[in-house]
Order: sequence, then structure tokens, then C-alpha cells
Amino acid sequence: MIVAAWICLVAPLAAALSITLLGTSISRRVAAYMATASVLGSFAAAVVVFAKLETESASARSNASTAWEWLTAGSFHVGLRILVDPLSVFMMLIVSGVGFLIVAYSIDYMDGDDEERRYFAYMALFVFSMLLLVQAGNFVMLLAGWGLVGLSSYLLIGFWHERPAAVAAAKKAFIMNAIGDATMALAFFLLIQHHNTLNFPPALHVGPGHGWLVNLVALGLLGGAVAKSAQIPLQTWLPDAMEGPTPVSALIHAATMVTAGVYLIVRCHAIFEQAPRVEELAAGLGAGTLLVAGLIALVQTDIKRVIAYSTMSQIGYMFLGAGLGAYANAMFHLMTHAFFKALLFMAAGVVIHALAGEQDIRKLAGVGGLMPVTRITFLIGSLALIGMPPFAGFFSKDSIIAAGLARGWYGDVLFAAALAGTFLTGLYTWRLFLIVFTGEPSAFVREHATRPGIHAGPQLSHSVGPEGHGEDDASRPHGHAVQEHRGEGPFWLMAPVLVLAVLSVIGGWIQFAPLWHPLSTWLDEVTPPLATPSNAQEAVASVLAVVLGLGGIAVAFLFYGRHRRAVPRIAWAQTLLERKFYFDEAYDFAFYRPAVWVSLQLGRWVEGPIIGGSLREIGRGAREAGLGTGRLQTGLVRTYVLAIAASLAVITIVFVAVR
Amino acid sequence: MRGPEIVWYLAVAAFLFATGALGVLLRRSPLIVLLSLEIMLNGANLALIAFARLHGESSGQIFALAVMAVAASEVVVGLGLIVAIARKRLDLDVDKLSFLRG
Amino acid sequence: MANVLVWAVWVVAAFSCLASGIAVISFSNPFFSALALIGNLASLAVLYLLLSAEFVAAGQVLVYAGAVMVMFLFVTAYLGGRADAPWAGGPTWQQVGAVLAAGAILVEVIVVIGLKAGGRLSHEAKIDAAFGSPHRIGRVFLTDHLLAFEITSVVLLVAAVGAVILGSHAHVRAALTSDLDHKEGRLDAGP
Repeated sequence: MIVAAWICLVAPLAAALSITLLGTSISRRVAAYMATASVLGSFAAAVVVFAKLETESASARSNASTAWEWLTAGSFHVGLRILVDPLSVFMMLIVSGVGFLIVAYSIDYMDGDDEERRYFAYMALFVFSMLLLVQAGNFVMLLAGWGLVGLSSYLLIGFWHERPAAVAAAKKAFIMNAIGDATMALAFFLLIQHHNTLNFPPALHVGPGHGWLVNLVALGLLGGAVAKSAQIPLQTWLPDAMEGPTPVSALIHAATMVTAGVYLIVRCHAIFEQAPRVEELAAGLGAGTLLVAGLIALVQTDIKRVIAYSTMSQIGYMFLGAGLGAYANAMFHLMTHAFFKALLFMAAGVVIHALAGEQDIRKLAGVGGLMPVTRITFLIGSLALIGMPPFAGFFSKDSIIAAGLARGWYGDVLFAAALAGTFLTGLYTWRLFLIVFTGEPSAFVREHATRPGIHAGPQLSHSVGPEGHGEDDASRPHGHAVQEHRGEGPFWLMAPVLVLAVLSVIGGWIQFAPLWHPLSTWLDEVTPPLATPSNAQEAVASVLAVVLGLGGIAVAFLFYGRHRRAVPRIAWAQTLLERKFYFDEAYDFAFYRPAVWVSLQLGRWVEGPIIGGSLREIGRGAREAGLGTGRLQTGLVRTYVLAIAASLAVITIVFVAVR
Repeated sequence: MRGPEIVWYLAVAAFLFATGALGVLLRRSPLIVLLSLEIMLNGANLALIAFARLHGESSGQIFALAVMAVAASEVVVGLGLIVAIARKRLDLDVDKLSFLRG
Repeated sequence: MANVLVWAVWVVAAFSCLASGIAVISFSNPFFSALALIGNLASLAVLYLLLSAEFVAAGQVLVYAGAVMVMFLFVTAYLGGRADAPWAGGPTWQQVGAVLAAGAILVEVIVVIGLKAGGRLSHEAKIDAAFGSPHRIGRVFLTDHLLAFEITSVVLLVAAVGAVILGSHAHVRAALTSDLDHKEGRLDAGP
């Protein structure tokens, strides 16, 4: 079992290294197959681990394995250590399973790209990093995985690196994640001081009576989680991250990396339980984010950004659940969210891929009629997202909402916020579905997608588009022959989408809280929940959530359905939402400009005069000294001789006096 | 035979040396400088001979002979240089012959 | 009686030595300076004789006064005796420094000698009659100090070669030195 766990971890890394080292000696397609096969191998290994772990008794399910001692400082040891327990196996299955589907999808999505090999190497590297994160047996390995997923995210967001927007987005993501990394590192330092070890499970428990310490550690961990999961206040990088290719958005910024924050909180729940204020803060941030993101999603016109804000909002639900202590529920929602969010992204990707990289929903309007299969899958994903029974989201989201009722007055406030969120979710999701997949095709769609069987297309270069299709934020695959299809996409594009559609339907059936809950049983021994809502509370929550979700759908029908009524526009609200609540402007004002000002001043006052000046002065001094000393060489023999005679006189005195 | 003690000879030698040094330092014509150099060497020679007499060693006299040979060679080369400089129509003034300036 | 004679000779020789020395550095005419030097050399020869160094005295007169000074006089005559007055103009830095340095050296040497005078400088060694004779000098040169003998001969040879080259005419020198340049592979030829 441990061997299988190591294989699961190492297989994608081997693929990444091989693709990198083999370079152009393998074809692009082969590189794609290699990456996909390695992730499939990981998934198979994860299944083996799961099967073996199931056979063990409940209490003995925590197995750690250390490859070698990496760092020894006195009595402090850090090793390459992995931990196999129910929680990590759960994550391993999700990461490798959904990862496999998305990497397979990329085979056809990225087909024809000049730098396809680099893409697949990065994707394999990402899967390895995420597996390292979830399998980590101590905080150091977790931090290593944490950093590596941040790196992979940076590399993949900025994959089309000739686009300045993509490069800027990659930098933004990395820098905001670095803030989280810093707070986490500080938390780890405190833990080292307290425990002298960072291994799981000892480091996960802080004894009672260390109020300051545990609160600070929890805050540090929360900072990292907030940054990685794009919650308020560190959420501004996620929408920009949509500059990357669509499979990247699906894998990293929907299914796995952004959920790492939730995983962290659940893994360290013992620490958070000792710091209840921080836990409540986490839940509050989750609630706030889900509302803010839901509101912003209402006015977005880029299909990927709507789904991105939806991701942000759903992770807010997970934070809410974890903050309330309903850990298994939060993980359940993580799983179902991975299914339907990846599905949504990939279905959107099929549309984008078919329509020359266009992402503006106004241009994409009405494409549903030409792509019926995609339309059905997107419909399934939307319903799962909104939380309609019997789709997956219903089971998972409602259990989180119900948990709010079981936790006092603060939980009630969060309950109300979560319900409001379901209304918003229904509204923006259905809006998106209606605009893009129903109604008459737009001019753009008609122009690009209604020519039967013609696969020719102008080779679009992204930097200058003489045809000028779309605004600057439409993604253009570089060096990529435009693929225009009548109908659906090629095999590898559609097959994973269909698989995920099926999972989005049945994925939630693994747990129906009042009746059967194998998932909770599986996870509860690692993460016992703080409160379990009663059946009545579950029922109330479910009914209200479904009703509000339907309400959102109805309102969307009203404005975006067949007989469209004018959407009421309140100018200030519109602007506020379109500017994303001015977060970017606030950060620009509070952080970016002072930093630029400081660096300019430093450049002017310190680097120029002091550092440059000191170096210049040293050089000049040396030269001046040389010139000055050179002036001693008068060329006059008499002065030389005089110097010798005078020195002789002096030395003689010295010698005589010494004796 | 008795005469002045060796110390007096040494005093004369010292005086000769100082005189020669003064000449080297003061005069501007290279010829005179060479002559002063000869005086210095002779002062040293006198000291050598005096010490040879003091200790009864012939080595001092041998050394003095070697000094004389070296002095002769040095004068030869020095005069050759002076003649070459004069042939180039340069001023025979050590202060003006300062081409090796730093 | 003999003692007084020796003292008298010593006084005369020493005095003329010093006087001619000062004369050498004082005359503005180099010809006169050279002549003064001849006198200096002669007085020194006398002093050597008083110190039982007969061979050296003879060598001094023959080599120094006879050959070296003649060479000097030839060159002085050839160059036309250009004059320079040493004490002309006010005392410059150079001159002040020169006097001070020379004076300091003199004083120091005297002091050192004086400090040692009471000790080891007052007992002359007993010598035999052959001390300072050519026989003795020759024996010591060719046995104890053979290396010095040989090196001295090499020095003289080198000086002779150098003198020939320095004194040769320009085209001969160019021919000689250009050979050397070519052999050493230098880029700039020429004297």
C-alpha cells in the first residue's frame, strides 16, 4: 500500500521529467499521451491504496512513510514523509481522477500548439505537486507541494507567454500566493518552536493553554488558505488567471489547486478548533466571498470569468463548511464541485475551441443549437452547480448549509448568507446557460460555425489580429490552426466531458445525509465534525435551498429567456459589480503604488548615489591614488638618489638605536 | 710602525663617502656625478683596506680589488652612455634627462 | 722618529684626500674636477701604503689613476667641458636636502665608529712581512676567492662588450640590435 502511494506520487513527476529531458525527440502527441498515462497510473495506484486502506480497521488507518531524512538540525528532523490516511486518500483519488480526465481532454484541446510538450510537462508537474501537497506527512512537504502548485499555476497561467495579459496574470497569482506562503511559514516557525517537529500527526495538535500561539498559528494557516483558495481578501488573482488555457482553468483553478486551502483547514482542524475565533473568521470569509463572487458573476461577459467567480463562490461554501466544523461535508462538496466545475469549464472549452478562441458570451450567444451534446453537458453541470436534485451539488451543498443551523446564532447568520448565495448561484448560472446555449445564434456564431465540414481557417496570430475579432481579453491559442467544427469537438475533447457529466449526476449519491453517509464515516475518524445537523435541520435547509435556486432560475428566465425583458440597471450597482467591488483599485492604491514609489526613491537616493556612488568612488579613489603615486616618479635621478640617501640616514639611526 | 689608529682611517673613509654622496646629489652634469661616484667607491675601498689591516685578513684587500674592477667597468659603461647622449645632441643635465617620468 | 714621520705622511695624505674630494664636487669645470680626482686617487694610494696594502696601492695608481682617469679626461675633452655651477641660485630643496642627508650619513658613521672605538677597533692585528704583497694577494685570489676572481673577469668582459656596442656608430648598432629584435620576435625594430 505504501509502495502504491509512492508510485501515485512519483508517476507524474517521472512523466514531467521525461518529457522535459526527451524534448523534441518525442512527438507532441506522444508527450501528451505520456502525461495522460502517468496521471492514469497515479489514479490506478490511488485506487489500490484506497482498496487496501479500506480493509484495515478504522483506528489503524493512518500510515506514514519516510523516504529519507532530509534535514536534521539538532533534535529537529524533517524527512521526505508521506501520510496515507482516509483524508489524503480521498484527495488523492479526486486529484488523480479528475486530473486524468482533464489531461486527457488537453490532448485534443492543445493539439497543434507549438509548445504542446511544455504544456504537458507542466501539467504533469502540477499533478505531482498537488499529490505531494495532499500526501504530505509533515508541514515541510506540504509547504513544498504548496509552493510547487503555485509555481505550476504561474507557469501554466503564463503558458502563452507572448501575451502581456497572461504574463501579468501569472505574476499576480504568484505574488498573491506568496503572501499566503509567508504567513504559513511564520505559522510553521511557531510550531517548530513549540513542538520541535513538523510531522503529522504530532504537529497537528497544540495542547490547551497556549492561546496566543495557537491563534497565531491558525491565522498563519488561514492566510495561506485564503491566498491559495482565492477568498477575500486575496481573491483578485483568480479571475485574471483565466488567461491560461481552459484545461488549466479547469484543473488548477476549479478542481484542485484552489481547494488546497480547504484541505489545509480540514487537515489542521485540531489547531483551528483550539482557536475558535479564527475558525469563525474562516467561515465568515467564506460567506462573504460567496456573496461577493456571486454578485460579481452577474455582470461578467466572459464565459470563463463567470465560471471563475462561480468557483470562488463555491469555495466560499467549502470554507463556510470547514469553518463551521462540518469537515466531511466540506470535503464532500469539494469532490462534487471538482466534478461539475471541471465539467463546466471543459464544456465551455469545447465551445471556445470550436469558435476560434472567442470567449465573450455576447458573441457566443446561441451556439447551443449547433452543439447539442455540449449543451446537454453544460445543462447538467449548471443544475449540479445550482444544487438541484438529483444532481451532485444538491447533496453536498445542502449539507453545508444545514450545518449552519446547528451552530448557534453565528451559524444562523451564515445560514442566511449561504441561502442568499444559492439564489445568486441560480441566477448567474442560468443566465450564462441561457445566453450561450439557447436562443438564436449570434452573427459571430453563424459566421464561424455554420459552414459544414470546412476545417480551414485563417491562422490567427494573437498579438495583432487584422480581423480584430473580439476584445483583448479573448484568449487566442498561439500558433494554433483555428479549428472550426460544425457540431462537436474531436474524441478526446468530448469523452472526458461526458464522463464528468455522468459523475456530476451520480457523484452526489454517495452520501445522502439522513439516510446513508459512508463518506462521513470514512472521513470522520480523521476529522470528527464539531456539529451534526439533525434530520429536521437538513430538511429545512434542503427545501429552502432548492426553492431559492429555482427562484434564481426563474428570474434568469425572466431577463434572459425567450421573451427578454430589459434588465433593470442601477448605475452605481452596475459599476460596482463591473469593477469587482474595486478590490483591484484598492490594492493598487494601498500596495502597488507605495511599493513603486519606494523603489523609485530607493533607486534615486540609495542605489545611485550610495551604492553606485560608493563603487564609483572606490574606483576613482584607486585611480587617483595611482595617479598621485605616479607623480612620485619625476624622472629626475637626483631626487631618487636623495630619497635613497635620506632613507639610509634614517635607517642607520634606527639600527643604531635598536642596538 | 706606529701611526694613527685605524679609527682615523675610517674617519677619512667616512668623510670621503659623504663627500661623494654630496657630489652625486648636488651636481647636474653627469660627468661630475660619475666622478663623485668614484669618490664614494674609493671611500669604501679605504675602509676595506683599513679593516683588512685591523684584522690581518687579506680578504679585505681582495674585496677592494674587486671593487676597483667593478668601478672601472661601471665607468666605462657610464661614459659610453654619456657619449651616446651627447651624440644625440641632448643637454648633459640630469634634471633634463627625465624621460622615465611617471 | 719613524712614528712622527708616519704621522706626518698620514696627515698630508689625509688632508689632500679630503681637499681633493671637496674640490672634485666644487669645481664647475669638469676638467678640473677630473684632475682633482687624480690627486684624490694618488693620496689614497699613499694611505693604502701606510696600511700595508702595497699591491692594492699599485693597482690603484695603475688602474684607477692610469686608465680610468685617462678615459675620463678623454671624454671630458671630447665633450668640450660644459660647465655648470653647483651653487648658483638660491639653495633649492634639493640642495638643502642633499647637504642634510650627506651630513647625517657622515655624522652617523662617525658616531657608530666612535661607539665601537673603545672595543674592537683599537687592537691591530700582528701581521707578517708578506701581508699585502702580490704573492699573498695572488695566493688568496686563486684559492680562497677564486669565484670572485672569475666573476670579476666576467664583469669586465661584459663591460667591454657593452662599451663597444654603446660606442659604435648608429648603423652598426641598428644592424646589431635588429638581429636581436628579429631573434626575439619583437614587433618594433630599431635602435
